[in-house]
Formats: sequence, structure tokens, C-alpha cells
Amino acid sequence: MKVTEESPQIAACRAAPVLLVEGLRVEYPNRELRQEVKVAVKDLTFQVRQGEVFGFLGPNGAGKTTTMNVLLGFTRATRGDAYLFGTNVREPIARQRIGYLPELTYYYKFLNAEELLRLYATIFKIPRKKVEHLVDAALKLVDLEHARKRLIKTYSKGMQQRVGLAQALVNDPDLLILDEPTSGLDPLGRMKVREIIQRLKNEGKTVFFSSHELGEVETVCDRVVILHEGELREGGSVKELVEKYNCNLEQVFLRVIGYHP
Amino acid sequence: MKNIFALSTVVLKESVRRKDFYVLFVVTAVITLMMGSVNFFHDSQIDRYLKEICLLLIWISSLVITITMAARQIPAEKESRTIYPLLAKPISRTEVLLGKFLGCWLATAITLIVFYAFFGLMAMSKEHHWPVANYFQAIWLHWTMLGVIIAMTVLGSLVFSAVSANVTISFMAVTFILLVGRHLDQVAVRLGEPAHSLLMGLFYAIPHLEFFDVRDLVIHNWPSIHWSVCVKATAYGAVYGAFFLLAACLCFRRRALN
Amino acid sequence: MTSIDVNAAQWKKRPLVAVLCLPLLLVCAFCLATNLSLWFQSWPGNRAESANAMTVAMGDARRLFADAFFVKADAYFHSGMYPSIYDNRQSFQTPHIAEDSGAMKGKNTGDEANFLGPPRNWIDAFGRQFYPSVHTHLSEGGANGKEEEGTVGEILPWLKLSTELDPKRVEVYTVTAYWLRRMDKINESEQELREGLKENPGNPQLLFDLGRLFSEARHNPVAARNVWQAGLRNLASLPDKDTDQNKFITEQILAALAHQAETERHPNDAIGWLERLEKVSTTPQAVQHWINVLKGQKTP
Repeated sequence: MKVTEESPQIAACRAAPVLLVEGLRVEYPNRELRQEVKVAVKDLTFQVRQGEVFGFLGPNGAGKTTTMNVLLGFTRATRGDAYLFGTNVREPIARQRIGYLPELTYYYKFLNAEELLRLYATIFKIPRKKVEHLVDAALKLVDLEHARKRLIKTYSKGMQQRVGLAQALVNDPDLLILDEPTSGLDPLGRMKVREIIQRLKNEGKTVFFSSHELGEVETVCDRVVILHEGELREGGSVKELVEKYNCNLEQVFLRVIGYHP
Repeated sequence: MKNIFALSTVVLKESVRRKDFYVLFVVTAVITLMMGSVNFFHDSQIDRYLKEICLLLIWISSLVITITMAARQIPAEKESRTIYPLLAKPISRTEVLLGKFLGCWLATAITLIVFYAFFGLMAMSKEHHWPVANYFQAIWLHWTMLGVIIAMTVLGSLVFSAVSANVTISFMAVTFILLVGRHLDQVAVRLGEPAHSLLMGLFYAIPHLEFFDVRDLVIHNWPSIHWSVCVKATAYGAVYGAFFLLAACLCFRRRALN
Repeated sequence: MTSIDVNAAQWKKRPLVAVLCLPLLLVCAFCLATNLSLWFQSWPGNRAESANAMTVAMGDARRLFADAFFVKADAYFHSGMYPSIYDNRQSFQTPHIAEDSGAMKGKNTGDEANFLGPPRNWIDAFGRQFYPSVHTHLSEGGANGKEEEGTVGEILPWLKLSTELDPKRVEVYTVTAYWLRRMDKINESEQELREGLKENPGNPQLLFDLGRLFSEARHNPVAARNVWQAGLRNLASLPDKDTDQNKFITEQILAALAHQAETERHPNDAIGWLERLEKVSTTPQAVQHWINVLKGQKTP
């Protein structure tokens, strides 16, 4: 099922969406059965508009991480295309205006937070004069100013997660891609992430994130799509879906993926 | 280019903050000083054996540092998942690979400068003269060779899945080339077909790293190599380095990370 | 007491048991060690009995290294310009340092300067530009043509290492002693020969060299003659006295004794030694000529 406009309309607004996924298909060779291939994502099409908080939902193995890997250039699609700000994701420059927080955050442990952020800022080609200011701002936002000179290997797990968030924000991105941003965080950390997402939304930034925390998604997201077995099964604004199914988002999710208790 | 330099500084910082270099330097210095304290027939002028041992240790140390450093770059990034936030930035995989290569190569330059400075001081204390041209040629060619080895090992890190396998194979390949690479054609002459053709093919295909091993130039105070030969050897190393790097880039460019 | 309490009590006792086990294990190890050491002391393969650290570390494999270091000394003598095992070694069958010292009978044939032959391919041709392809000796100026006579001492560490690794290898002592003598290190040269004799008691080659040292450096003809005569006696008692090397030494000792007698103006003694020499020499005509000269001197 497609949640967005038909193809001609997609073509018309290709320049407008922040993120556009069009007929995406990803196949992997199946190592157990050599003759067959495993289809991780089947002809996926959706778009994310400027300024919205977009939830990317699905059970484990639904194809969320694979789609994100394609968006970030880690994996190549077998068919179809994806665009970030109108640029094909195969081009590194497509990632100039995005920030990405992986589910498991591991950073160069022999660097300190300041050095790590400075490295990423350099890759974003931020002028040297602005780098220090942006690094300071990002560290302040995640409450790591006091530990900026400490090697990352000495950080606690929560601190490492915060460094991850800081590196995702260091270039002041227009689109933030978050992969399970609150997994493994304590309640305070989750609250902090929610606050940051809300703040970014207020600033007119776009946030695209995957999560299993459906209550959290319901709170912060404008629109969601639900994936199951590599296919897009449902999508739309949170309000529309809740009204359509006459239940909360968690129950919508369970019904869409075919779970009947 | 800025991205390549930025990444190379990360590799440099890593090599400075790891302990491998310091351990190997201390071992080299201690063994050399111990050997230097041995009195042979009450002759304090004897020093070439000391230069030979010190240079041998420097070569072994530099190979250990270079191969282990180059072999772990990409696999360690994948294993520790640091490559994901990195590649999510506007940086191409070619830039990542070149940054890693440059970082390793610069780190080996620092290593060589420190090791050869110690060697130079030790030799000067015995010989009271310092043939600058010979030393420069020895360091330069050594560094060029390490560039080829880094490129070869980085390619290996994309071909072999385990770091340990890559380190072992790279060590064996480098040792094999340095010890018998020059004589493969002579061995081939004594063999029948198809071994003869295979070995001759290998002889022409491998990078002849032994060209860069000019330790005897420093040990025996030979006259300097003609500069044009040095330039040709550098070009030869650059061609092989570029070949391995290009192959590595092609390998890495299309490979899925997960 | 609940089961949880029992478990807790057991956990508290465990560290005490572990601590008590440690001395028990140590006592067991000590008992086993005393038992095993008796067997190990009498075991023929016990390397630890040797006072030589090299023997302990390498066993009999050290002899291979001793040979390699002897060749390494010869390579140093040629400033590193030396044939590999893949090159033509006809002219390097006997190390030149040994041939020059007279310790070994030379078997070298062919062109010393051109053992590499013409370049086999462009890789070989290019590789040759990285080292001087001129046959030189350290004692004659070396590779850069400016080496002083004393530079030949650079071969000594490798020779020393070779004797350390294989103390039974006699020619290394004589080669070392010869080059030390050339460097005017007479005491060190004598010391080296005496060390060789300590490891190889009564060895004729070492006695011959010691005699040379007494004769040429110490100017003590009596001591020289005694040592040479002892060498001859030992040679005669050797089971393998007819080997080329032993015949070579016999020739050298007899010639040295003849020369000494001639110098001391004892022509009869000299002729006596030469007549013995004539029987074993590979060039009897030359010896006969020498005898004739001596007889001619005696006649007037």
C-alpha cells in the first residue's frame, strides 16, 4: 500500500520533499539457500516533508534498518532510488544537510568529545571560525561540556549516547535521522531526546526516526509509516490512523502487522 | 582533500595514543644499547655490526607497526561500528580509504624519523661522521616501501575477513618478497612447465620491495645511489601503491557495510 | 535456616578453601619438581647443563647459525657485496677471509668480480643500481675506496659470534687470530688461539697459528718450533690425517719449520724438514728446488 501521492505527483514535487523514497527494493543473497535471494525491502515508496517529525515503524526484520542503510549510503538498492533534498543518496553530498544517530553509538575511543566533533565538523566543510562555536553549542546541548577533554573510552554508556547526539547535531542539520534513539537510555535520557526532537521541530527541522517505543512516537510524530516483511503496510498522520482504527497507535501497529491476540 | 587530511589526523592520533610504537622503540633501543656495550677485542671503532642489528630491529619494528596498523583500519571501523556515523557524513568511501592510507603513511614517517634519529645518534657516537645523503636515501626508500605495504595491506583488509588473517598473509608476502623476490626468476629456470611460467609471472607481477632495502648503503658507507635511480624507485613504488589503492577503492566502493 | 542462608554460608566459606588450596598446590608443584629434576639431570637431551646460553637456546641448530655468521664476516669483508645462494659462488667457495689468512685451502675458481654475470632482465638490471657491483676487500680500501686498514676489524664481531655458537669450528679461531694480528692486536690474537685450544685441545691448525704468532709477532723461535713440533705430533696421531685439510696443515707446519731453521742458519735441519715436506707436498718440484738451493748454500 502506498501512502503518498501517485507517481506523477511524486515527480512533480521531487524537489520539495526533504526525503523521497521511490520504488525501493533491496535484495540480499541468501547464504543458506544459494539459489534464492532474500528481499529485505519490497518496492517501498514514501516521502518526508520539510518540518515534520516522521516515524518509521515496524517489527524487527521489517526492513527499517535496511532502508536507513540505503538512505545513508551504506547499502545499495537493487532497484529504485532515494533522494535527500533532491540529491540521490548515492552522492556523498546528499548527506551534507543531515545528522544521523545510529542505534548503537560507538565512536573513536582514543579521541575526546571535542576532537570527535571537530573531525565531523571538518567533514561537513564548516568554516574553521564556526567550528568551535558549533562544537561548543552541541556539547552544551547534551551536557558534556565538563567532559569535553576526556577520552571517549572513559565515558559511561549514557555519555556515549549523548556524544552520538552531539555529533548528529554538530552541522546544525535540516534533517535528523535517528535509529532507535532512545533504546538503552534511562528515563531521563529519553526525556532529553524527546525534548531535543521537540526543539528541532519547533525550529522547523525535519526528523526521521525509527522506534519501537510507540507511546513516544505517538507523542512526538506528525506522520508515520508501518513496515512489515519489507512492505509498506500503512501510513499517514498519527491522528488519521488513530481515528481510522479507533484505537491507540500501539494497537494500530499490532493490527497492521497482523497480530491478533 | 580536506576530508582525507581530517581522517588522516585521526589515524595519526590513534597511532600516537596506542602503545605499540613505544614498546617497539624501547625494545629496539635496549637491544641496540646492550649490543653496543659488548666489547670486541678492545676495539671501540667496530660499529657496523651494531648498525646492522639496529637497522634490522628498525625494519622489523617498522613492518610490525605498519602492517598491524594498516590491517586494522577498515575492519576495526566496521567492528566497532565507527564507520557508520562516519559514512553518514558527506564523505565518499574513496576519501575514507585515502584518509586511512595517508594517516598510516604519515604515522610511519614519524616512526621512521624517531627510529632513524636514534640510529643516527648511535652511529654518530661511534663513527663521528654522518653521511646525510646516504641516510636520506635509506629513509626515503624505506618510507616509500612502507607506502606500498600499507596500500597492499589495506587492500588485504578488504579481501580477507579477519584482521589476523590479513596481518599473517601480509607479513608472509612482504617477507617472501624481501627474501626471495629478487631470485624468483633464477628459481623458475630450474623448474619445468607450468611451474616455470607461473613463477616467472609472479616474478614480474610482485612489487620488488627489495629495491627499497638499502640498509647496506648506511652500514658499509657505500657511495650514495644515483639520485635518478632514487627517483625511478620512488615512481616504481608510487605506481604499485596506486595500483593497490585503486583496487582497494574499487573493492570498497560497492561493498555493503552490513 | 533457609536454603538461601545455607547458600550464603557456603559462599562465605569458599574463599577460605581457595586460600588453603594455594599452599597445597605449591607443595604439590615443589614435590613434582624435585622428583622430575632427578630424571632431567641424567637425561642426555638436557640443554640446561651447558654453560653456553646459545646452546641452551638453540641446541645443535646453533651450528647452522655459526656457519651463517662466518659467511657474514666474509660478506662484511666485501662491504656487503656478496653472492647469495642463488648466484654463482664458484669464486666464493672458500671465504676470502679464510683464504687470505691461510686457514683454509682455497677452492675458489672463476671471476670474483663478476659473479652476478650479465643482467638477466630489467628488474635485475634495475636492482643492481642500488649496490656497488665492484669486488673489493675491506683491507684494501673497501667499497668506497677510502677505508683504512683498521676497518677490517668490522668482520670480528661476526667471527666472535661464530665461535660462540660453534666452539669446535677451528678455522674461525685461526681466521680471527690472523686478522687480529694484521691489526697489531697480538695479545688478543694469542688469547683467541688459546681459547680455541681450550675448546679443541692439541688441534694442529691452532698450534700452527700459535707458532706463527710466536715466530712473527713475539720473535720467539724456540716457542714457535716447540708448538709446531707438537702440532706435527698431534697430526700424526689423528685418525683422519690424510684429509686434504690435514695434509694442507702438515705442509704449512713443515714449511714453517724449514723456513725457521733456514733463518736460524741450520740448513741440515731445514733440509730434514723439507725432505718430509716433499713427501706430502702437492708441489714436490718446488720443494726439491728449495732443497737444492739449501744444499748449494751448504757446499762452499
